[in-house]
Amino acid sequence: MKSEADRETLERILAEAREVHGVSLWQDAWKRLRRNRTAMISLWCLLTLSVLAFLTPLLPLQSPIDKDLDNRRFLPPNLSSVVMGSRPGLKFAGGTLTGELAEFNESIESLRAQFASDGPDQQRQIEVTIADRIEVEHPFNQMWNNLGPVAWWMCEMRVAIFGDYAIPSLFGTDKLGRDLLARVFWGARVSLIVGIVATLVSLIIGVSYGAIAGYFGGNVDAAMMRLVDMLYSIPFIFVVIFLVTFLGEDSVKKKLDSVGIDQITIFYIVIGAIYWLTMSRVVRGQVMSLRHEQFVEAARTVGASSWRIVFRHLVPNVLGVVIVYLTLTIPSVMLFEAFLSFLGLGVSPPDVSWGLLLNDGVEALSIVKVFWWVVVFPGGALAATLFALNFLGDGIRDALDPRMKNRD
Amino acid sequence: MRNLIGYLLKRAAWMILTLWAVYTVSFILMRSVPGNPFSGERSLPPAIERQLKARYNLDAPPLQQYWDYLVGIVTRFDLGWCMGLEDYSVNQVLAEGFPVSATLAIFALVFAILLGVTAGVISAVYRRTKADVILMFAAVLGIAIPNFVLASLAILLFVFMIQIFPAGGWGTLKQIALPAFCLGLPVAAYIARLSRTGMLEMLTKDHVRTAIAKGLPHRTVILRHVLPGALLPVVSYLGPAVARVLTGSLVLEKIFALPGMGSHFINAATQRDYTLAMGMVLTYTVILFVMNTLVDLAYAIIDPRVKLQ
Amino acid sequence: MPPEVRRGFVIVAGLLAVAAVIWAARMDHIPPADFAFQNGTDPSTLDPHRATGQPEGRVIFELFEGLLRMLPEGEPDPETGLQPLTPQPAMAERYEISEDGKTFTFHLREGIRWTDGTPITAHDFAWSWLRMLHPATACEYAYLINEVRLATEYNGSVVNIGDKVEVELWDRPGETPTSEANVQHFPRGTMKYGTLRGIIKPDAPEPAENSTDDQREQAQLDWEERWIYEIEVADPNAEGDGQATLERFAMSAEVAASDETVQRMHGVLVDFKHFGGAQAIDDRTFVVHLNNSVPYFLNLVAWYPLFPVNQNCVETHGTPLWTKAENIVTNGPYKLKFRRLRDRIRAEKFMDYWRADEVSFETIDFVSLESQNTAMNMYETGQLQWVWDLPASVLEELKDRDDFHSAPKLSIYFYKLNNDVPPLDDIRVRQAISMAIDRRQIVEQVTKAGEQPAFTVVPPGIAGYKGPEGLKGSVEQARALLAEAGFPGGRGFPKMSLMYNTSERHRPIAEVIQQQLQNNLNIKLELKNMEWGSFVETVQQEKYEIARYGWVGDYPDPNTFLDLWVTGNPQSNTNWSNPEYDRLIKAASSELNPQRRMELLRQAESILATELPIIPIFFYTSAEMAKTNIVGFAPSAQDLHPLSILRYRSDDAAPAHSQD
Repeated sequence: MKSEADRETLERILAEAREVHGVSLWQDAWKRLRRNRTAMISLWCLLTLSVLAFLTPLLPLQSPIDKDLDNRRFLPPNLSSVVMGSRPGLKFAGGTLTGELAEFNESIESLRAQFASDGPDQQRQIEVTIADRIEVEHPFNQMWNNLGPVAWWMCEMRVAIFGDYAIPSLFGTDKLGRDLLARVFWGARVSLIVGIVATLVSLIIGVSYGAIAGYFGGNVDAAMMRLVDMLYSIPFIFVVIFLVTFLGEDSVKKKLDSVGIDQITIFYIVIGAIYWLTMSRVVRGQVMSLRHEQFVEAARTVGASSWRIVFRHLVPNVLGVVIVYLTLTIPSVMLFEAFLSFLGLGVSPPDVSWGLLLNDGVEALSIVKVFWWVVVFPGGALAATLFALNFLGDGIRDALDPRMKNRD
Repeated sequence: MRNLIGYLLKRAAWMILTLWAVYTVSFILMRSVPGNPFSGERSLPPAIERQLKARYNLDAPPLQQYWDYLVGIVTRFDLGWCMGLEDYSVNQVLAEGFPVSATLAIFALVFAILLGVTAGVISAVYRRTKADVILMFAAVLGIAIPNFVLASLAILLFVFMIQIFPAGGWGTLKQIALPAFCLGLPVAAYIARLSRTGMLEMLTKDHVRTAIAKGLPHRTVILRHVLPGALLPVVSYLGPAVARVLTGSLVLEKIFALPGMGSHFINAATQRDYTLAMGMVLTYTVILFVMNTLVDLAYAIIDPRVKLQ
Repeated sequence: MPPEVRRGFVIVAGLLAVAAVIWAARMDHIPPADFAFQNGTDPSTLDPHRATGQPEGRVIFELFEGLLRMLPEGEPDPETGLQPLTPQPAMAERYEISEDGKTFTFHLREGIRWTDGTPITAHDFAWSWLRMLHPATACEYAYLINEVRLATEYNGSVVNIGDKVEVELWDRPGETPTSEANVQHFPRGTMKYGTLRGIIKPDAPEPAENSTDDQREQAQLDWEERWIYEIEVADPNAEGDGQATLERFAMSAEVAASDETVQRMHGVLVDFKHFGGAQAIDDRTFVVHLNNSVPYFLNLVAWYPLFPVNQNCVETHGTPLWTKAENIVTNGPYKLKFRRLRDRIRAEKFMDYWRADEVSFETIDFVSLESQNTAMNMYETGQLQWVWDLPASVLEELKDRDDFHSAPKLSIYFYKLNNDVPPLDDIRVRQAISMAIDRRQIVEQVTKAGEQPAFTVVPPGIAGYKGPEGLKGSVEQARALLAEAGFPGGRGFPKMSLMYNTSERHRPIAEVIQQQLQNNLNIKLELKNMEWGSFVETVQQEKYEIARYGWVGDYPDPNTFLDLWVTGNPQSNTNWSNPEYDRLIKAASSELNPQRRMELLRQAESILATELPIIPIFFYTSAEMAKTNIVGFAPSAQDLHPLSILRYRSDDAAPAHSQD
């Protein structure tokens, strides 16, 4: 009877223990983060933004590259409706994208029908010709640049759903008569990816490097930090120019292509490699002041390996500062991308990024006439993203802070 | 005191080593980049190009160039003549540009530190109040708006709408105010955020709680026990901040027409002015190194747990 | 560390910060100049023989003065607004031209002085021209006076047996027979003059099979250094060869050391000083002899590379130290007061200038400014009185203002095609691309300064020359040509890259052309921007497909735009070659009859405009703003603006300005 009760108690305790054990640092943090309203709103905003950026081709936006120089340069934000493909210079059938599309499909069909009776060999040849024509002459080529298969499919869906309807130029148009709203969206696709990937690269290198240097201290630290000092001083502009030309060589290009490394990958690596330096210094400083704390000593006495102490005990403790720094890095990376474009590494027209949009915007900020919308909207998009990132960062930092546990 | 001197000596040795390494890497990088200082819209006749290369010792074998230039720097602090700005030696360019950049940087940094720390402390102490929200909102805004946009907006606002500052140029305190503001604001925002985070962290520390519990005046606790620790991240950010202020001034120098040395850097690189670029790189290295040494010193001063090594 | 020390450090740090702020707050304010304007990037040098760009030119034109100076003559053209500028007497009070157009005699003014007070003589000009042509000066504009007797030979270090030559011994200041060369080539070492009798050459080196071009060149140079020149040295001023002695010279220290009879020297050049085409007859007479007549020679004389520099100043301080504000000696309407990098060059009126009483502004500032918007801001706030680089986004607004000036310039914007890369090697493809570009849209909607669409290469407005029409086709024709070339509907056309150097000017143009080719021909262009250094290198190595370029005429003659495309011209980089074109250009250069010459050039241009190795886009137009109270400001075809003739309207009442 007694043993029965004991067993029950024991089981209950065990079950509880199991349950308690089940809550990892991250689950715990997530639980606390969910309670932070601003952070959650920010998170949702960022998620929405990312999803919208991904789905941009599907949205009823105007063409981001079609320049209507004659009629639509520097239009202020307005609500007048726009029909896709109506620019006379495009010479689209019926003055619409759908009209031209129908005509194009018809001509392809008729081509197919014409040779339908031919033998399989000719059939195949005809198919090749048709594929060729679709690649070169398809009206989408006039409205969008270099669509990947997914984006192409999304554009097809967009035309199927919305037809020729496009959202009016709510953000106005730029100096070459392109719709800014569409450009901000298409720019988001580039800028978000650049910001996130490059920052992650810098995060991984910077945190590990800084934590190791800070923990081991002494000569290891000195050597590692001198290396950082040196890298700080290496004129990265030469590195970038060198990379651009070196990678521009045809032989090198082919070799890299065969391994699957394209220019944009290199671009991420370059940015990440430049931005990890400050991160590592910040982390090192934090770790240095933490490494004599009791919990580190405790971990050491129970025989934890240095590796474990650094990544299991120290890194989570500096994550607060790291995350704050991280949320600050993303926007500067987005702007740095525009500078790299100046050197020839990065997006090239007609593709666009927020950095490029902002550069163009500032150029149009002259006192003679202020085209405010070309700088306000891209700038606003950047600032809004940053705000969300920032509040989310704060939220995550608070959530990760072990001392915040069980408070509130 | 002795370990301080030993520390400084050690740093000096490291600095020389770093400078040498930076010199070597930059030298190799510059020579492996396409183009040469004499390429222009029209290509030079070979005879003239040869004469020019001879003038700048570019006709010697690379190793010889490497060595000659290094000897010149070490023995005479002579960085040579600029290849783009022909009438100037690199030393003269630096001597003209550095005071301007330094002036701008000092104003920007002082402004940034004063504003940033104050804002950070206030918003940490009055956490979750309106003041905190507004200050942090402003800080994020300061970071979010790139300084070239900020500068353009500031010109529209303070030069043309409210005519209190001149549009550009150098020579009066009025002309420095706007660029220093634009340069310092993002740094101030960073510092505000870092010091706020640091403050919040310190406020949860046991010794701080004890101090408060003991009934020490709030002000004393903040200044004595919280601030020094809270400023650690700020101090460690100062090294990079100087770098940021020096390089960030590049865009502003262009917008406000300031004769600083930041703009030389990009120009030297794009014009393949090897000597000027080298001079800029080495100067930059020295500044960074000195700043980082100061930061480490400050660390040791503020935080007793950190020992100089 | 004890707490007191720690506190001490905090105090020290605080004090340091305060000291830093006090140091930073010191300011040296300078009063504004009478006239300040945007001068573009920092002038790289003030040495007239080394300068090439426009910012340098603007400064040198005011600091120095040649025999002639470009000044306004007559009223501005009512249609274009162009103020005609002609070469007018300056340091020379008059000149004579021989009937065959090959001899120019310039008579200098009396009483003209350098800023150091010494008189300016014809010998100053002779020496300056010699310096300009000296190979070690490496003057890029030396080719302009190729027709001056012996100039080409002197500049290109060409000597033949039997030539009158000069030898400079290895004894420049600081040189010993075995030392490194002193790079200062003025003052020169001991000069010997005589007749070249022979060259003893050791065995030519055998370059290794796998050696690079550089190594071969190096080996060749090393070999040439070892040549021994035998020269009959004589006093050039003495008559006859009576006291001539045969002496031997070599450049290599090794050769000179191994043979006592061989003296070490810097080089053998033709004796331009005594036999060249630029001679001082006496202190006030300077004579120029040309091999062939050059119709625009007076324009060249008024061009800054031919301006005089002060021998004493150059030789005392050396290059480039003599250009420092504290050293420089000049002879123009203004003298250099100070020079601040990235800031300004301040010049003040030179009181002893021969026309000083007509110079109105006491001080002028050449302000170094690279940003268009900044320049515009400073103009609007009154810090500048003249800006010439206007932001394109507001040109339409500026155009209607009174202070806006615009006029055609002698320069062209075009795309170079690499004619070696298929399918650009096909003339039909090049024509199709050209026809598919809507130049009107570009000049009206993108550049907006009133540029002229270009279908040919030579800008309009050169006196006596009327270029061909050029190939103006419709989009339909372009499509047909492309189909004919094997790319119906653009199918199968490879993706081409269009390169431009990073600039806010070139990107929009490239973007619009990208769209036009996509819309009209379904040709996809990939835009590739590069910073300047890489861009130039890539084009010169011909690793491009299409690249943007510009060309500014050196002198008002079609030849400056046409001889670029002759086979083998290093500026061409298009791999285009047409024997008929080469023949026509060559024939034109030796044609004396101006009308026939122009006709030959016109035929050559029409070949160019049909074959289209390059695609002309537009002819530049200047677009500038100058305050309305400035009198005498007008645009000119060569974009020259003599500042010494400008004044403010309020000066009208002032009595001081008499006409000489």
